[in-house]
Amino acid sequence: MQKYTFHVSGTHCASCKILIEDVLGEQDFVKNVLVDLKKETVEIETDSEQNAEEIAAVLTSKIKPNGYVLSVEKIDGVKNDDGVIWKAIPIGLGFLVLFFILQKSGVLNLGIGGKTTPVTSFIIGLIASVSSCLAVVGGLVLSLSAKVSQDNVSDKKNFMLFHFGRLFSFAILGGALGALGNVIGINFTFTAILGLIASLVMLLLGLNLIGVFAKNKITLPSGMFNFFRKIEHKTFTPIIIGFGTFFLPCGFTQSMQVVALSSGSFVSGFLIMFSFALGTLPMLLLLSFGSASFAHSKYAPLFFKSAGVIVVGLGLFALLAGLAGLGIISPLFNI
Amino acid sequence: MNKIASIILTLGLVVAIGIVFWGGKENSKSVQNVEIKDGIQYITIDAKGGYSPRLSTAKAGIPTKLIVKTDGTYDCSSSLVVRAAKFQKLLPQTGETEIDLGIPEAGVPIEGVCGMGMYSFNVDFQN
Repeated sequence: MQKYTFHVSGTHCASCKILIEDVLGEQDFVKNVLVDLKKETVEIETDSEQNAEEIAAVLTSKIKPNGYVLSVEKIDGVKNDDGVIWKAIPIGLGFLVLFFILQKSGVLNLGIGGKTTPVTSFIIGLIASVSSCLAVVGGLVLSLSAKVSQDNVSDKKNFMLFHFGRLFSFAILGGALGALGNVIGINFTFTAILGLIASLVMLLLGLNLIGVFAKNKITLPSGMFNFFRKIEHKTFTPIIIGFGTFFLPCGFTQSMQVVALSSGSFVSGFLIMFSFALGTLPMLLLLSFGSASFAHSKYAPLFFKSAGVIVVGLGLFALLAGLAGLGIISPLFNI
Repeated sequence: MNKIASIILTLGLVVAIGIVFWGGKENSKSVQNVEIKDGIQYITIDAKGGYSPRLSTAKAGIPTKLIVKTDGTYDCSSSLVVRAAKFQKLLPQTGETEIDLGIPEAGVPIEGVCGMGMYSFNVDFQN
């Protein structure tokens, strides 16, 4: 039995420890594996006859698809992180400024009078997807997509499941609202609390994307990441999150829910909520699949950090607004 | 060099965000939105893409009602919370909603905020 210590690169998150240990532990000749994120090392006990370099090469081939590399000598990681963050902050802030100017401009307040038909609800969906609702729903989608892409979980499949789950549950819940009428009232406080949770998740993931946690090694308890990682890999998780977006605080969604509620039949409620969700789809598709394509390009580090800045900004906005909505703090802004 | 340029740009953008959020305090041209009819004071607020006027001044000590007008409003301002009046409701897309404020005291402003919290309005009461 031999003991080797390798240097590992590409570990950007606490869950990486678990992933590497899982993958390497599956190899027959590896008896014991221990990842130290702080030192960026992997300790391996093995009965293999090969020398250190060969073992490193074999094991690297197993974890390379996930973005990790093992080496005998410490690779001087191309640490121009500092350069990247200084580009990412203005880029992220730039997007935030544009977004809030758009909100303030009043362009999105075009009146849609008359009866709400599936066509008008589609248009309202289009407007909603670039409105301040984007701060909550879009911010959440962006942060989760970037995180999922970063962790190299099969991202495209998860995004499809999310969007499918979202369309499906909007339609079904819309239909239920129409059929049942006033039976299910959607509670203000419940929505607001869900919004607060969403904004906290955004802040957490945003800071994680920027790399605050990695750099200062403030890792969250690994149990928590273990939990996240487990649910990240479950097929139903993206569907559940898609379902959950129905209840996230968004004035447009709530208005449409009331329309579905008063529509009086399953079919009309179904059609109204479905076309509304369909209207929000293009923007959300852009956010999720855009993240994925950036994440697999050479601009990945810059993208993750810029997305992190944007998500933190939107998360703060949603948090402060949510607290004001609940009456915990007095409103700080009108936008 | 990049770093300095970027810091300057960052500061500029932070200022821009500040202006977008808190600047341009539309000096609420005192719109005539308060009227007294048959001993009851009515305060009218338009709700669409925010509330207007954002700040109203009314008389204290008389029965007061708030009229919130919506007109094809689908955004957050249609989900209104007025805590002082224990009012929490989604307003109709188009229409007028009357909220009873009782007899307001002087110096106790009443605040309305939309469900997500990004729009709000205030009514001040004076003797």
